[in-house]
Amino acid sequence: MLELQRVSKHFSGIPAVDNVSFSARPGQVTGYLGPNGSGKSTTIKMITGLIEMTAGQILFDGKLIEDDIISYKRRMGYVPEEPHLYNHLSGTEYLTMVADLRGLPARSASERIDGMLRLLSLYDDRHAGIAGYSKGMRQKILIAAALMHNPDLVLLDEPFSGLDVGSALVLRSLITELAARGKVVLFSSHELDTVERISDRVVILHHGKVVADDSIERLRSLMELPTLEAIFSQLAVEHDTDSMARQLADLIHA
Amino acid sequence: MRELIARRLHSWALRLPLDFRVLHRQFLLRVIDLEALSIEADIPSYLGQFAGILIMISLCHGFGLMFFPPPPGPETWSYEQARIADLQLVIGLCAVLMWDATFPDKRDAMVLGPLPVLPRTILLAKLAASSSVLGIALIALNFASAAAMSIIFGGGSNGMVRFFLGWWFTLLASSAFLYGAVLAIQGLGALFLPRKLFLRVSAILQLTAFGAILAGRFLQPWLATFSELTNPAYHALLAWSPTFWFFALFNHINGTLPRELQWVANRAWIALGLVLIASLSSLALCYLRTMKNTVEQPDLDPGASSISLLPRLGSSLQSAIALFCFRSITRSRQHRVALAFYWSIVFAIALSMARSMITDPPEPVSNGLIMPTILMMGFAVVGLRSVFSLPVSLKANWVLRTTQLRPTSNYIAATRRSLQLFGVFPILLVSAALSYHFRPLSHAFQHVAFLAVFGCILVELSLMKFDKVPFTCSFMPGKTNIQVIFWGAAFVCIILALLFGAYETQALAHPKQYAILLAWSIAAAVGLWTFNRLHARTAVLYYEEVLPEVIIRLGLTSLATSPAPPKPGPDPLY
Repeated sequence: MLELQRVSKHFSGIPAVDNVSFSARPGQVTGYLGPNGSGKSTTIKMITGLIEMTAGQILFDGKLIEDDIISYKRRMGYVPEEPHLYNHLSGTEYLTMVADLRGLPARSASERIDGMLRLLSLYDDRHAGIAGYSKGMRQKILIAAALMHNPDLVLLDEPFSGLDVGSALVLRSLITELAARGKVVLFSSHELDTVERISDRVVILHHGKVVADDSIERLRSLMELPTLEAIFSQLAVEHDTDSMARQLADLIHA
Repeated sequence: MRELIARRLHSWALRLPLDFRVLHRQFLLRVIDLEALSIEADIPSYLGQFAGILIMISLCHGFGLMFFPPPPGPETWSYEQARIADLQLVIGLCAVLMWDATFPDKRDAMVLGPLPVLPRTILLAKLAASSSVLGIALIALNFASAAAMSIIFGGGSNGMVRFFLGWWFTLLASSAFLYGAVLAIQGLGALFLPRKLFLRVSAILQLTAFGAILAGRFLQPWLATFSELTNPAYHALLAWSPTFWFFALFNHINGTLPRELQWVANRAWIALGLVLIASLSSLALCYLRTMKNTVEQPDLDPGASSISLLPRLGSSLQSAIALFCFRSITRSRQHRVALAFYWSIVFAIALSMARSMITDPPEPVSNGLIMPTILMMGFAVVGLRSVFSLPVSLKANWVLRTTQLRPTSNYIAATRRSLQLFGVFPILLVSAALSYHFRPLSHAFQHVAFLAVFGCILVELSLMKFDKVPFTCSFMPGKTNIQVIFWGAAFVCIILALLFGAYETQALAHPKQYAILLAWSIAAAVGLWTFNRLHARTAVLYYEEVLPEVIIRLGLTSLATSPAPPKPGPDPLY
């Protein structure tokens, strides 16, 4: 189980993530939601160890992650928000490098890479430079790199970004399947419809604070709202969206 | 006075169209790839530092000439030839370093294509940006030496003025020829080759041009006397060497060219005309045709498998890092070119030695073998280490951080392996080949054994405080005084080579002394290796991919609110 206890991150004294506590359990898909700038990606980066917390602690299977960060990283797979990759490598070269860095045996790594590239429809372009890949292809490479070592903790930051409909459906099923196989899955997304379909519970962040942490059914009944979108709008959207759209149209028309 | 000039220049610049000024500034900054610089790098200061190196060379030449003038006669001609060759070397290397900077790339096509900017404006702005850099190099390299040459060689006030003007015209013409030639090669390639093929050939052409310019500078003999210049044996050299064309052109303008060599000066005019026509026309056609074609080209080049060709290079981590280094050096333009700068020195030394191998009989092992090979090893390892400090994609570092499953010492060992494979090993191979020219062979190969240990010492020195994966962060260039480091490194390398060369020449004649030298060197290498190993046990890998955590409040809501002081970033010398 992944547990965050009073986790905070301040940038120059300004809180980006403020006293966040929640847990993600094995066998469950936890959706992590929030508007742009609410602190979702910062939280996930703290969970990966990419940035340090200002306060609080993160535990995985009851152990502080910084106590044995290497064992923790061995069990973690991460898809970042932005598809930053080494563009001068080909898809195969990139995945082979990640497999080597993770110390996977060469033969099994090669088989897994080939298999994943085939399943993700990247096999024909496996020797092409990543620089030429579309956003969706880059996203698939990130997903393959995150999952090739069979991690126990799967962190997905906007994993559907750039994927076509077919690939998004595959990923949606894959997330459910990974959870069904006992993995801890934490994913953030702006696609509320998808989150609503596959998440067992959601954590909603607003201005760096947790404003909701429960199963979607309980949130629906507690707030007496029909959809996750309505719940999210009430908890985390401050503006009148129609009015803002009108103002924008007026501005460019002026 | 300075302010007045600045104001005049500013008001003159304001008369240029706004779109041209904006693009010129952008392209000037893009002559150096921003990604290659540190996140704290300052591009104008970086350019200034390179100009500083050239100014230093010019001052050395200028003062050298003033205080130690060559005797009148043949020395004057060979001095002029050498200065023209130096200029061609610097301008040629700058033109090669800015290889793609003048041509429209996909980014230009995608960003500027939809904007109401004429291709002509883009072309002119790019030409102006490249010319600005070349102009700085030209002036910085020649301002002192040209003045000193005019005073020493001019002879009287009229002669001085004529010499000065003629010399600067020749320098400009020679620079225009070289830059034009580089543009013409690329432009014609871009016009006549399919784009995918051109992109592949372009990298090879760039390195070939690099080698050709260096070979031209370091393999070319100087012809100091009239009899040498008119000797039929050198007719082909005069006919095909741009250095001699522009040497003749200068003397033609200066009125000091013998009639027998008028045809060489004519070649300069013809070559200049042809190159300018070819470069400008191909460039113009590229902007009219290629910009559209660039957008229409498919993004994805199927590529070819290279996995089966590359062996495992140690443990999986060592293999991953070494292959990452190899691919970064071979595929990233800025890394390839930065390394080529150092390897060009190695290449030049090797070529000079190879030339003597062809023409001279075998010679005894002496400083003729020892010093050049030590210098080659020094520049190869230092160059590779410097290139390791240039990031390839800072934002992609996250993958190395999230997959760091082994201790820092393993990563440093992997970097050591890469330095040995791509820095020490090639020099050992070249040195072994060059050693065949020296006798006795046993002494030559004893030197190669010493060179291997010397290479290991350099590798260990390079790894000191290098707690990084190659290409993942930088503190150079832009943050440090590169001109000081360059001259310092060159000075130390030459001193070391001289000292080792003198001592080793003696030692090779006395087996006991050689054994002591080798033993001490091995002890030094092992000592440094142990020091680095011990340091690596407690070291933490350092990455640089994001700006320091700074949020600056602009205080726009209230004038009374003062901006929050930014938190100091990481130590730039880390």
